[in-house]
Amino acid sequence: MASIIDIKEECALHVRDFEFTYKGASEPSLKKVTMPIAKHSITALIGPSGCGKTTLLRAFNRMHDLYPGNTYAGEIEFEGRNILTPKEDLIHLRTKIGMIFQKPTAFPMSIYDNVAYGMRLQGIKNKTELNDRVEKALKDAAIWKEVSDRLKQDANGLSGGQQQRLCIARAIAVEPEVLLFDEPTSALDPISTQGIEKLVIELKERVSIIIVTHNMQQAARVSDYTGFMYLGELIELGQTEELFVTPKEKLTQEYITGKFG
Amino acid sequence: MTAVQKRIMVNRIALGFSTLSAVIALAFLFWILGVLVMKGMSALNWNIFIFEGAPPGYIESGLKHALVGQLILVGLATGIGVPLGILAGTYLSEYGKNSRLAHTIRDISDIMMSAPSIVIGAFVYAVIVMPMGHFSAWAGAIALAIIMIPIILRTTDDMLQLVPGTLREAAFALGAPKYKVIKDVVYRGAKAGILTGVLLGIARVGGETAPLLFTSFNDNFFTTDLNAAMPSLTVTIFNYAISPYEDWQQLGWAAAFILSMFILGLNILGRIILFAGKKGK
Repeated sequence: MASIIDIKEECALHVRDFEFTYKGASEPSLKKVTMPIAKHSITALIGPSGCGKTTLLRAFNRMHDLYPGNTYAGEIEFEGRNILTPKEDLIHLRTKIGMIFQKPTAFPMSIYDNVAYGMRLQGIKNKTELNDRVEKALKDAAIWKEVSDRLKQDANGLSGGQQQRLCIARAIAVEPEVLLFDEPTSALDPISTQGIEKLVIELKERVSIIIVTHNMQQAARVSDYTGFMYLGELIELGQTEELFVTPKEKLTQEYITGKFG
Repeated sequence: MTAVQKRIMVNRIALGFSTLSAVIALAFLFWILGVLVMKGMSALNWNIFIFEGAPPGYIESGLKHALVGQLILVGLATGIGVPLGILAGTYLSEYGKNSRLAHTIRDISDIMMSAPSIVIGAFVYAVIVMPMGHFSAWAGAIALAIIMIPIILRTTDDMLQLVPGTLREAAFALGAPKYKVIKDVVYRGAKAGILTGVLLGIARVGGETAPLLFTSFNDNFFTTDLNAAMPSLTVTIFNYAISPYEDWQQLGWAAAFILSMFILGLNILGRIILFAGKKGK
């Protein structure tokens, strides 16, 4: 059976016996997943296509609720409550658990308005506060130097890597507790990828990070913990180094040595 | 003749015929425009914009009444049709999606788009003009709005669906409620497309005569009373063109020229906006 490490530190999220079924599917896409997510660290999810890693990631901010008919079972604990209950305030939840997508998703507005958007949603109108927090978020996302002289310009004029950092700035501007990254570099060139990875490592000082990646080297480079998923199950969760050097499960070993993919 | 030579020959024949057909089709367009420009330009003068309609033979006769009436009718129709069309299109793309109700609305709207406009005029005559007992600008504008709605509804629906789903998800992921996602992100992303749909919708109803014949009717004098019959360029063209008086026929040509330029301008503007919007992405 699955080999799940017992995390000693404080946990940001705790998944217990979680099952997820897409609308109209006869079988759940995720089966009895139990997984602790350590606070202020980076947890990577790896596994072959269709293993359910993105499905699991999108459960943390209840993105699946945008498409009616999907069903959850089990529990995801966040800040002392189960976020899968129907009474969970999704708007509040999503300000606490932010998300970065595979393709950059710059809104069709200026660079400044992109970063300010989340704060304006929370009702912050004070110009000085907005200016300060936009600047800080852009600095934290390591893009301030490139855009400080063109904040009023359309964000779609930026390169792919810049747009992805802008999206990170937009997500951290609302000061979330957790950030979900869904293959954030698969649409980017190697240099931009390096920049994003460096940024992700810096961010763990302040937020807990879960990153889905197709790239095992990336998981090895950035993460503290790695979870290996296969056919909707979490096969193994361990400290990244241990998982890659001395995997406990045969399936994990076969996957990381490239026997299947 | 080898197989290759035969294929080359067949290709030349097919190319020749299709080119010829295209040239003939375009020739008619330019012929119409040419006649319109020649006859219309020669009939144009400042009096047209200064004077209202007059009996045949008067020098001080113009089209001011029809120009203003046309603008009022099209303006009112736009005021009614654009909000309804955009909101209905928003429902289809963002809320109804693939539901049975949404599909039914799409199908009915497509049927309405090809409905003969005179039928819509007859409908408005029966439900508005008859009960009110008189022709009115309102009735004309409502008839035009009914023609305009399916065009704007369909383009809005199509254009909103072109906005990538991940952009909506990204806004939801920041904690935006649905109406703000639509207003701030989806509408902005589809701005150029929606505007083009609106302009094409206005251009479409701007040239309609049949639905106005028995709704806003016509009037040879200047009026801004929305509860009375209202002159329009299209009905004026019709009346003046079939009249036996040469000065009225001249005015008809001038009206046809002005109307065509107005609609041509809207069409070109619509395409420029769409093109600029695509280039910006």
